[in-house]
Amino acid sequence: MSDAKHEPQTARNAPIDPRLLEILVCPLTKGPLEYDRANNELISRKAGLAYPVRDGIPIMLPEEARQLED
Amino acid sequence: MLPSMSDTPAEPTETADFGFARVPRAEKKPMVRAVFERVAGRYDLMNDLMSLGIHRAWKRVFVNALDPRPHRTLLDRAGGTGDISFGWLARGGGAAILSDINADMLAVGQDRALERGLVAGLSLLVADAERLPLPDRAVDRVSIAFGLRNCTDKDAVLAEARRVLKPGGRFFCLEFSQVEVAALAPVYDAWSFQVLPRLGRWVAKDEESYRYLAESIRMFPDQETLAEMMRTAGFARVEVRNLSGGIAAIHSGWRL
Repeated sequence: MSDAKHEPQTARNAPIDPRLLEILVCPLTKGPLEYDRANNELISRKAGLAYPVRDGIPIMLPEEARQLED
Repeated sequence: MLPSMSDTPAEPTETADFGFARVPRAEKKPMVRAVFERVAGRYDLMNDLMSLGIHRAWKRVFVNALDPRPHRTLLDRAGGTGDISFGWLARGGGAAILSDINADMLAVGQDRALERGLVAGLSLLVADAERLPLPDRAVDRVSIAFGLRNCTDKDAVLAEARRVLKPGGRFFCLEFSQVEVAALAPVYDAWSFQVLPRLGRWVAKDEESYRYLAESIRMFPDQETLAEMMRTAGFARVEVRNLSGGIAAIHSGWRL
């Protein structure tokens, strides 16, 4: 677990709002998202991006998303 | 004879307004974000000072116009510190999504939601109004209050609003507009360009950011121009309602 954070399970790691999880799509492709609970990220396979969830708030900005390695 | 301008063509797609300045189009978004990151903590206080508290009355009128009902859902864009979403929920509106491109502004909104116990019907979302992470036909109301002028591609913001609305849904925009009462204009000018930046310096220790806010208000399309942009984006029955002599205006349109 090389990229495991040292911080405890605080608000930062709070899971996403379930109501949003139900409806959110990728802002670029408008395609579906998968929720990666372990990393607290929303993954758009089509865009190759992982959108972070911080304090339970999804950050749906492509410029803040992590590029998926493929 | 006036010199011909034809050999120096303007390239409107290459730059965007940032207050009175022109900046490369790609730079506007991060520059606006930087302004709001700087002012986030004192934004509400500054709004009170800037509008002499009148923005609260405008927002009440705006929330009334949204016509909150329990079965209706709201996407509140550029919702920042939460006034519109809170008003919607307090007036009996259904589930609201409070969204902003700026996580710092949204954090202020989140704290205020907790203080007011308005968490139940509220979801928080960081999103770009030009590229919404919502499917087509998702909500009954889309609002943007004092946000559209900060967006780079206003046509994209309008098109996205229409896309995510259900048929029969309505879009509402509250924004500073063009003063239509002549006697008001000189007073308003002095207020905007002399007083506001100084207030920004004293209260928020940030004259530049508030100068941007004052200038961006003047660069914003006037009532009819924005109404025409909404029609072009596909909105029907576009209406304009002036507030305080046109200092602000509410634009609304339907997705039919």
